[in-house]
Amino acid sequence: MNRNSREEGLAEYAHINYLKPEECRFSLTDGGFLSLTLNTETYPVVFAYRAFPLSFGDMYISIRDEKDKEIGIIRDLAEFPCDQQELIRLELERRYFTPVITSVIKMKEEFGYIYWEVNTDRGMRRFTTRGSHDSILPISEHRLLIMDVGGNRFEIEDFRTLSPKIAKQIEALM
Amino acid sequence: MSTLSVTQTRSIADVLGNEEVVTELVHDVDVHSLFTEGKTIITPTRLLVCDNGTVTREISLSQASDFKAVGLVGNGYLEATIDGVRTAIVRFSMSQMPYFANAVKYLNKITAGQSVPFYQEVEEKKCPRCGRVLPEGSASCSSCTNKVQIVRRLLAIAKPHFPLMLAAMVLFWVSTGIRLVVPQLYRILVDDVIRAGQRDLRQLLFYVGLIGLAGLGTNFVGAIRGLVMTHLGAGLGQDLRNLVFAKIQALSLNYLSKRKTGDLMNRVTGDTGTIQSFIQNQMATALNEALLLIGIGLILFTTNWRMALLVLLPTPLVVYLMRRSANLWRLMYHRQWRLWDRTNSLLQDILSGMRVVKAFGQEEREVKRFQDYSRRFAEVSAHNEKVYNTFFPILGYIMGIGNFLILYYGGHLVLGQKMQLGELVQFSQYASMIWGPLRYFTFIPRWLTQALTAAERVFEILDEEPDIKDSPNARRHRIEGRVEFKGVTFGYRTYDPVLHDINLTVEPGEMIGLVGHSGAGKSTLINLVARFYDPDEGQILIDGVDLKDIAQSDLRAQIGVVLQEPFLFSGTIYENITYSKPDATPEEVIRAAKIANAHDFIIRFRDGYDTKVGERGHRLSGGERQRISIARAILHDPRILILDEATASVDTETEQLIQEALGRLVKDRTTFAIAHRLSTLRNADRLIVLDKGRIVEQGTHEELYRQQGIYHQLVNAQIQLFKLREATISSTEESH
Repeated sequence: MNRNSREEGLAEYAHINYLKPEECRFSLTDGGFLSLTLNTETYPVVFAYRAFPLSFGDMYISIRDEKDKEIGIIRDLAEFPCDQQELIRLELERRYFTPVITSVIKMKEEFGYIYWEVNTDRGMRRFTTRGSHDSILPISEHRLLIMDVGGNRFEIEDFRTLSPKIAKQIEALM
Repeated sequence: MSTLSVTQTRSIADVLGNEEVVTELVHDVDVHSLFTEGKTIITPTRLLVCDNGTVTREISLSQASDFKAVGLVGNGYLEATIDGVRTAIVRFSMSQMPYFANAVKYLNKITAGQSVPFYQEVEEKKCPRCGRVLPEGSASCSSCTNKVQIVRRLLAIAKPHFPLMLAAMVLFWVSTGIRLVVPQLYRILVDDVIRAGQRDLRQLLFYVGLIGLAGLGTNFVGAIRGLVMTHLGAGLGQDLRNLVFAKIQALSLNYLSKRKTGDLMNRVTGDTGTIQSFIQNQMATALNEALLLIGIGLILFTTNWRMALLVLLPTPLVVYLMRRSANLWRLMYHRQWRLWDRTNSLLQDILSGMRVVKAFGQEEREVKRFQDYSRRFAEVSAHNEKVYNTFFPILGYIMGIGNFLILYYGGHLVLGQKMQLGELVQFSQYASMIWGPLRYFTFIPRWLTQALTAAERVFEILDEEPDIKDSPNARRHRIEGRVEFKGVTFGYRTYDPVLHDINLTVEPGEMIGLVGHSGAGKSTLINLVARFYDPDEGQILIDGVDLKDIAQSDLRAQIGVVLQEPFLFSGTIYENITYSKPDATPEEVIRAAKIANAHDFIIRFRDGYDTKVGERGHRLSGGERQRISIARAILHDPRILILDEATASVDTETEQLIQEALGRLVKDRTTFAIAHRLSTLRNADRLIVLDKGRIVEQGTHEELYRQQGIYHQLVNAQIQLFKLREATISSTEESH
């Protein structure tokens, strides 16, 4: 079997169904869920997943039905008209909730736990993390994900831009 | 009338009226993904969404069903089907997830017509007094715990070692006493012998000799003290480690599985070490250092209070600098360590994955990566060295400023004949001795905190009550082998059940095959039979006796396991086979190994049954380990067998041997098997098909296959994977 026919044979498995804006009509249901009409087919409830939530926010978004089967992938959200983008973004915001810490007000270590008080792009928040390195997940050298004891996540875009005292504390933690 | 209408601003009290509140939840994320503070109130008939003190949505439970608490990334939402419409109700941060999941359990039961009370089954994660987070799995708050209590307990642990501690103390006093006398000798030497003018060489020799002897004495006493401390430390360390390890063994799987192995290891070795070192070093010397500090202080002040003040003048600055430098050093070292750790991990990674690196031709890339890490590490190390070699010497110099002050002021006095030279020498000697105790008291808060934290972690384990306990009426029971599940519901986290309402009766000697998709609950079911966990609802009976009423020691002796990943301890093959029956005779071992088709390959090893296996020993193949594991179970000869079949594939010949061995093992033994082999399925007396935690199909292989249900699906999917495909395919096709 030569390379071409093998690729052809596998093609059906590798196929990505890119959703075209002109074929899709997203809308909001009464119950607050996202629904999709793709050409003639209607999916009453669909979910949106980011394939690369940390690398590409609005590209390669997988749209899946209620049974978690993939309907198609949106290559780039920008391809879609603004009102449609709004709706899809709303759904993505529901799934991915990672407030970005803009500044740290307090970071107190006590008995193996760290008590944080921070300002985020979603409002002020207090949370607690374990005082060990597993509460910090480095996405890149300076971009971090903080995980608290309740399972919540917070992002720090560049910890070096925080106040030097805090930056040192965070570094000591990693 | 729509139950989803947004009501006008009605206060919560108004809407509630006289209705009682079943529970109140917090929803802290709003529709715009911003943090908020909202309440979700559940009453026996309604669900109220409240924001800012007013009710923004009122849902009548009679119109709602299918409640779900859906967990996503960092947050979750509550949904339900209301009047036929699937509706998202509120959003909440992940911290609230357990509460909503728990409430959903209740809501679904209520809306299904059951009248049940509400259980708040979520573990309280915050201390009720101070609001701080409780350490995982623990109910005691670190800051609210009585420190005094902990110190008392530490003393209790130290108690049997008091004689040694006392000896250490006494020796300390002796050596300190000698040290305190030496400056006096110096004074006498300088003033009365040297400066007095008379050339009395004998006196000179005498005092010099005395000083020399004193030095010798201090060292000698110090050496003995060292010995005593070593014994003390070893004894203490041993006591502590044994205590903790024994307790860990006694605790249930539930508690242990919540913790990482590394954490537990830390507590047995690291934390006990910290406590040991604290008791041994700090506790034993606290009194001494205090006395020393006071004593020297007194001597200095009574000699010349002005000079004494001069000595103590730079103290605050020095203390401050000591603290800061210690912190700085800690940070610098930590950074260095972190980079070293990273470099090391990378190295380990690459070396162990060398095959992959070479196969994909990535050597150059990995070399570059390593160079990068290595360079970073070198840079930081160099920087740290620089700081260490410049900053710390300067610091040391500053710390010694007191000496110059004494020299100047004292010299002034001596020149003015107000003080003798010898007195000055004596004074300066005492002054230099004060830094020891000062340093001690600077760092004691930190050492104390460290020790208390370590002590807390250790006591947490020592205080933990194993939750799989023998009930008060637990007794021994000779198992016949009849196992019954009655309405059993269980979840590793109570609000998230893995098994729902399992009802099953297994007769003695029957072999039950458990099948289902992964995650269906098969492993969980056998975990319950082995009593690694207790069911949340319902009962498990053995021969009509509740599992909880059978003494655990007796139970374990009569239930055997053959696990999916055959775990062999570091030891010989013989030791591994006899693990459950250490007093087995060599003959019994050989018989068991023969039945398990293991004897033949074991004999061929250079050291036979004495071959060391495990971490440092001979590398066994998957098939060999499986058969040793089977031999172990055969020797154990349990009344009930739990078999979690290995999925790892082996060659056809070995496969046949293993199948044969298994067949012999399960004969006439009540067996619960998670089956992966078609042959096992066909040999089972009955097959139980689980789906999402419920029993959906039951019967023999032929019956179930004919039904063309889930079982049919599973078997067909697996057929490609079975080694004996020719035989199995033809035989199943025949049965059609």
